[in-house]
Amino acid sequence: MSKVLVIAFAEQDGSLGKAALEALAAAKQLGGEFCAGVIGEKIDAAADMLAGAGAAKVFGVAGSDFAQPRYASDAAAAEAIAKAAGAEIIVAAGTSRWSRVAAGVAHRLGGQIDTHVTGLAVENDAPVVTRWYYRQRMMAQMTRAARPWVISVDPGSFAAWQGAPGSASIEAVDVTLGDAAKRTQVTGVRTPSSGQQTIRPEADVLFVAGAGWTKKQPDGQFHVAEAEKLILDFVDNAKASLGSSKSLVDQKGEGQAVLTCLSHLNQVGQTGSTPRHPKGLATCCHGEEPHVVGWRFITERRAINLDANCGWAQGKADVLYVADSFAVMEKVNALLAE
Amino acid sequence: MSLAEQNAADVDRQCMDVDIACVGFGPAMGGFLTTLARGLMNEDGTPAVESATMPGMPPQVICYERADDIGFGVSGVVTRARALRETFPDLNPEEIPLCHPVTEEQLLYLLDPIGASRRPLTVRLADGAIKALKWALPYSDHALRIPFIPGFMEKHDGLLLSLGQFNQWVGNQLMASGTVQVWPSSPVSEPLFEEKKVVGVRLADQGVDKTGAPDAGFMPGMDIKAALTVIGDGPVGPVGRRIDDEIGMPEGNHQHDWAVGMKVVVDLPEGCELKPGTVLHTLGFPEPEIFGFLYVYPGNVAAAGIFVPSWFDNPVRSTYRYMQHWLQHPALWKHLEGATLRSWGAKTIQESGRRGEPHLAGDGFARIGEGSGSTNVLTNSGVDEAWKTGTLLAEGVLELLKDGKPFTKENLEAAYVARRRESWVEQEGRVAEKARDGFQHGFVRGMIGMALAGFTKGHMALGGDGRSPYQRVPTIEEYAKGKLSAEEIETLRKEAHAKGQTLHDAIMDRLGWPAIEYDGKLIVSHQDALLLGGKVQAQPGYADHVVFVYPHLCEECGTKLCAEVCSGQAITVNPEGGVPLFDREKCVHCGACMWNCGSVSPESTERGGIEFRAGAGGLHSAEN
Amino acid sequence: MTGGFQIVVCGGIVPNPLQTLEPITGPSGPALKNEAMLPAVLDPWAWHALFEAANLAKQNPGSKVWLVALAPKAKLQQVVMTIAQKVPFELIAIDGPASGFAESADVAEELAAAIEAIPGLDKSKLLVFGGWESASRGAGTTMQMVGEKLGIVDQFQGVDELKAAPDGSFEVLERIEGGRHQVSTCAGAPALLGWATGNLPEPPNNPQVGMANMRGVMPALQKAKPAKAGANGATYASVALPQQRRATRIVKDTPVEEIAREIAAWIKG
Repeated sequence: MSKVLVIAFAEQDGSLGKAALEALAAAKQLGGEFCAGVIGEKIDAAADMLAGAGAAKVFGVAGSDFAQPRYASDAAAAEAIAKAAGAEIIVAAGTSRWSRVAAGVAHRLGGQIDTHVTGLAVENDAPVVTRWYYRQRMMAQMTRAARPWVISVDPGSFAAWQGAPGSASIEAVDVTLGDAAKRTQVTGVRTPSSGQQTIRPEADVLFVAGAGWTKKQPDGQFHVAEAEKLILDFVDNAKASLGSSKSLVDQKGEGQAVLTCLSHLNQVGQTGSTPRHPKGLATCCHGEEPHVVGWRFITERRAINLDANCGWAQGKADVLYVADSFAVMEKVNALLAE
Repeated sequence: MSLAEQNAADVDRQCMDVDIACVGFGPAMGGFLTTLARGLMNEDGTPAVESATMPGMPPQVICYERADDIGFGVSGVVTRARALRETFPDLNPEEIPLCHPVTEEQLLYLLDPIGASRRPLTVRLADGAIKALKWALPYSDHALRIPFIPGFMEKHDGLLLSLGQFNQWVGNQLMASGTVQVWPSSPVSEPLFEEKKVVGVRLADQGVDKTGAPDAGFMPGMDIKAALTVIGDGPVGPVGRRIDDEIGMPEGNHQHDWAVGMKVVVDLPEGCELKPGTVLHTLGFPEPEIFGFLYVYPGNVAAAGIFVPSWFDNPVRSTYRYMQHWLQHPALWKHLEGATLRSWGAKTIQESGRRGEPHLAGDGFARIGEGSGSTNVLTNSGVDEAWKTGTLLAEGVLELLKDGKPFTKENLEAAYVARRRESWVEQEGRVAEKARDGFQHGFVRGMIGMALAGFTKGHMALGGDGRSPYQRVPTIEEYAKGKLSAEEIETLRKEAHAKGQTLHDAIMDRLGWPAIEYDGKLIVSHQDALLLGGKVQAQPGYADHVVFVYPHLCEECGTKLCAEVCSGQAITVNPEGGVPLFDREKCVHCGACMWNCGSVSPESTERGGIEFRAGAGGLHSAEN
Repeated sequence: MTGGFQIVVCGGIVPNPLQTLEPITGPSGPALKNEAMLPAVLDPWAWHALFEAANLAKQNPGSKVWLVALAPKAKLQQVVMTIAQKVPFELIAIDGPASGFAESADVAEELAAAIEAIPGLDKSKLLVFGGWESASRGAGTTMQMVGEKLGIVDQFQGVDELKAAPDGSFEVLERIEGGRHQVSTCAGAPALLGWATGNLPEPPNNPQVGMANMRGVMPALQKAKPAKAGANGATYASVALPQQRRATRIVKDTPVEEIAREIAAWIKG
């Protein structure tokens, strides 16, 4: 097997996040020896985790210049580590921080790259990756002969490595940033203005709100405010993440009553995100299945809809409840609040 | 004028000058623009004639199409392709996806294997005779293969086309020529008049709410001024209809006969024996008035569908439900079982043909294609005819441009209408014009009438009564007389309307039609057909294009035929009564609501209570 | 900013989102069945990037927007007709595959070369825009490589907002985990931004914009150079549609209370 390197970014407290531990597990799946590289302001705890997982060597780039996710500094650090390690296969978690630089790093190394990898196997002593094309419409298994080969694994696709930290002897890699690499400064993090947290990548449940919530209900009236309360109560009670189809987050321009809790960040599938959660509950999504292709990554899927013949019944959900979502969710919320 | 309309009228509109403004990119416009583009430039690349609006340049020719792409929202066809081949003598079907020469043509008379079909006595007698003699007849799977196809219906030297793919092919060549521009996603709301002269068109307002009132990003539709406006916006196009309202129809002409055609494009099951180029025409089932077709494309793909005409006097005529029963007729299902839906769509067909011809030209405008009465109702052919009308207009326009003559009514009549009168479109249209009249009095007389007109080349025909659809449509009580009591119907109506549902399923179930069992592949719910097949979508920011103009008429209407017939379930019954609800995002722009209104406008006996205006969105499949 | 920005938007075309897609094995690797028949649209995230570019150009007089697109020429021509009425841009067309299976490195090479070849390009004013991913390859790798080839190290991905200051510096909001945005400031161009959806609505069709754009579109298509992008480098063991089909249990005619109890138990369990 080629020389494998796991690259991770240390969290602010110096440890490794869940996504990095998943990538670590993915790399270990390749078998054989591997090295690790870690980047961050403080990296000791992370390096110990990597050593504990069996990294033969741990390379590190540390210091305040590397505290914030920034293209110029992160790409320079990852490039230097990969070169120091003589890496042929580089595995990392497809976090926003790594995704920003991964392809640039591959380019600098003269290598190739695959991202959003959801499965990893070894055949003929080489990795075979599983990844999706055309917004989750088709799944490919592929390999490459070229090295280095950068493989970004999607968070949520592998079980995180669990084990005790070891004691790392970090091989510090010197990276000096010129002024040109500091033209960008990260100044902070902003949370959406709606107040309530509705996107939780770690949640057990994804609640998919369909366009039916904002349509006229059987009494001939709109009940959008009531819908919003039911949805937010559920998201709050179940500590769920909230997703929606494009049609619902796009409604702002139509001048009609809209669910104010939804933004483009909540969009699932098509031009939205593709979150992975163990459970998913789709509500009032009649006919929207083709729009919500991100649904494919939900393990257990249930739906509530008024029509027993809707697309969700055609092999897309485990259970379809034919009922009024307003009535059901009110009771569900009461039960969850108990 | 509504408040929204007043607001819109007050706004400051931008204006743009072009030489020729065209409305609607269909086969007629394809013929017009292809012929025109070839004549506008000399071989050395210099303009053959000069633009009046941009001196030194060739004439600026702009075509606005309401659909979101040039290949969306049209239909599969079998055509003799005479005019197409005149324009493209070296036409190679292999260059156009889903195009194939016709290799085999069959006409099937379908018997009713269910027993729910509403068959008059003569048809039942004929059915009985066929069954009794089936051992001696070409009979199988409840269908009789008619041993010959009348010459006037034959398409054996023709082509099978997906009009969507054909339009893309034509459009791409046109745009690559750089001589004309075709802009999709650009609904044209109305013609611009100066007295009786058409001086251009107005595009639909954008950034408006459902009612048309300005909203976020309001942009008033631009006025496009042109010396000539070419109208090819089809049988339900708002520009053509507005001109008819303004200047009326020629004496004796009317558009009272219509049909809605609905079809699916399917991947045939593996091992299907149908060969590319095969054409099946069917009649007799699910109701005698409903005709069907199945065309086999290359690659084990087929288009199949039905026509529901305005003389099928059923106030709960749901094309979708009838199509599902038709697809499952044993004679078709033996080919289609296991097929998968690829595409779906519906459109209105103007069945008055030559008799529905409006004024073809006037000061500043000319009309081509189906909306101009070119469809041949005897041969069931429209695309080739439409294309021909476009080429005839282009020849006339080039002549006028080169002679430096203005686009007056007189000049256009000499240059275009005269060419049209001498063409085969006119001659064959005249033969056909009375061919459908017999259907006004029922299926059997209809068939006799068609045969008479066809075999006598139009010299003999059965007379029709010329009634408009709203004059014909019976009440549900009349339609179901003897099978369902008025009380029973009222109960069903109340139940359905309280849930905002239409009545056709409940009525058809009671009249003996079996419930539809979905197979999840081809036999799917109407909504799945819309999304998975038609890929129906609509951009925000446009007004509702289906407008119920007279709420009191809707209040009094007992049939709600607009909702029953709606091809996309976009019109639904309002549980509170009164004006039906309209969901623009589900509309496929077939326009069936417009001619299926059971009421008559207080302002014109030629109009119902529904206005079908310019709208964006609709089908997003290019395979229809 | 004095003198404005030079904004180059990279955007390919993809099948219209609701089309049914099926993979086949073509002569040069995996491909889409009937790709030529499928209606296409500008890649959705690049579409948003184009609106943002036009908006930024409008706010900064002297700015100019180019659209660099690699796609089969005939399809690109059709797609351009659906976007050219939206915002003013100059098209630079490259005639090549729009396939998701084309290597991003190859695509990046073509895009970067096309950008370098823009007459009068001033890198001190250059902002390279694109989608943070394509809806075909869906990898999110092309833009970074374009930036690297152009020597741009101020790169941002998943961008939802760019606010430019009068001195040419700007603030960027990038999507990060948990539905949050990372806020950065950058001293100014050159920079590269891979856009998520941004916040701008789709502009209305403006026929005058369309007419103005068309003066450059047809010459650009006629000048389109053939590109060499392919699937070289990857060996595909399989490309298939997901086949999972679930046996859906349909619960109907059941009291709401009972359904709610079952769902709540499932959520808690």
